[in-house]
Amino acid sequence: MAASVRHLLKPWTPSLCLVRWSRYNSYYLDPDPSKDARVPDSELSPEQKELQELKTVRRIKAALSSDTSSPFSDPLMSKFINMMMQDGSKILARGIMTQPREEIECSPHSVFQQALENCKPIIGLASVQKGGKSYQVPVPLTDNRRGFLAMKWMITECRDNKHRRTHMYEKLSQELLAAFANEGNVVKRKHDLHRMAEANRAYAHYRWW
Amino acid sequence: MFITGAVYIRHYRKAMSGSVIQEKVAKLLSRQSGKPVLRPIKPLALKNEVASRKLKKGEATCVTEMSLLMACWKQNDFNNTVCSKEVSVFYTCVEKAQNKAKAKQGTQGRLLPKEANTLLKRFPNQSSEI
Repeated sequence: MAASVRHLLKPWTPSLCLVRWSRYNSYYLDPDPSKDARVPDSELSPEQKELQELKTVRRIKAALSSDTSSPFSDPLMSKFINMMMQDGSKILARGIMTQPREEIECSPHSVFQQALENCKPIIGLASVQKGGKSYQVPVPLTDNRRGFLAMKWMITECRDNKHRRTHMYEKLSQELLAAFANEGNVVKRKHDLHRMAEANRAYAHYRWW
Repeated sequence: MFITGAVYIRHYRKAMSGSVIQEKVAKLLSRQSGKPVLRPIKPLALKNEVASRKLKKGEATCVTEMSLLMACWKQNDFNNTVCSKEVSVFYTCVEKAQNKAKAKQGTQGRLLPKEANTLLKRFPNQSSEI
């Protein structure tokens, strides 16, 4: 009984915390932290001029602490770092991401982008129920979904299928180089998905969107 | 207005100054000329809600492009560089289909049931005078 009463003395914390939802109204615009945002008016087209005017009038969301005006910031890289981050340790995740750059010699930035591009699936599978039975139907994917799947596969592959004693940055650099050359487990996984989609191409008409 | 049929007849003269619809309804409910046409169980008043429409089942989009792409894959052992043309065609088709679906959803001159419900929640029909 004491235990049941004790929980009433704890400070109240919300049982639901907003992880993916944005509390902002759609009226708010996104912040643009880049230094090149200030372009002289003569070079802008009328639509862009309108957009600039709108930005001076409309309310703007608060910028995240990870937004920088530096030219080295890459939105794809930031997304990947966020996905790799565990328990909120952004410093650790960023450190892991910057280390393979020393291993990869020529233009690590474009290597990273090309590797992820090679890992992106073109067609995905969706589960559709028809006549009491669920079928795996080949389905076109949105760009966001494709990028997310590529990054997710890369991270899971690096975490699970490597030798226990290798560091994450080593595993990442190996996988990125392999994906850049269209080899390796991540690209194999992409090809497996394509194969399954090709095998199930008869069910393509079960889609209604 | 939660008024039963019998009371409606008494209010008939008051509603005369109102709309033509009220008169017609009153006539349908009246027992003056034989049995009444309407015998309402619930009150004859609109709800502050619109019924949501059933989603019309469309068809699968871009199936031909997908099948072409898959044929190319089968021939070339899933090599994306060789099949790049089919891939780009597929992407354009998908984008067009997405734009079409988005455009179709919002227009056609009608409010969506969700939008109508939000508006009605903000500006409901007055059922009784406060």
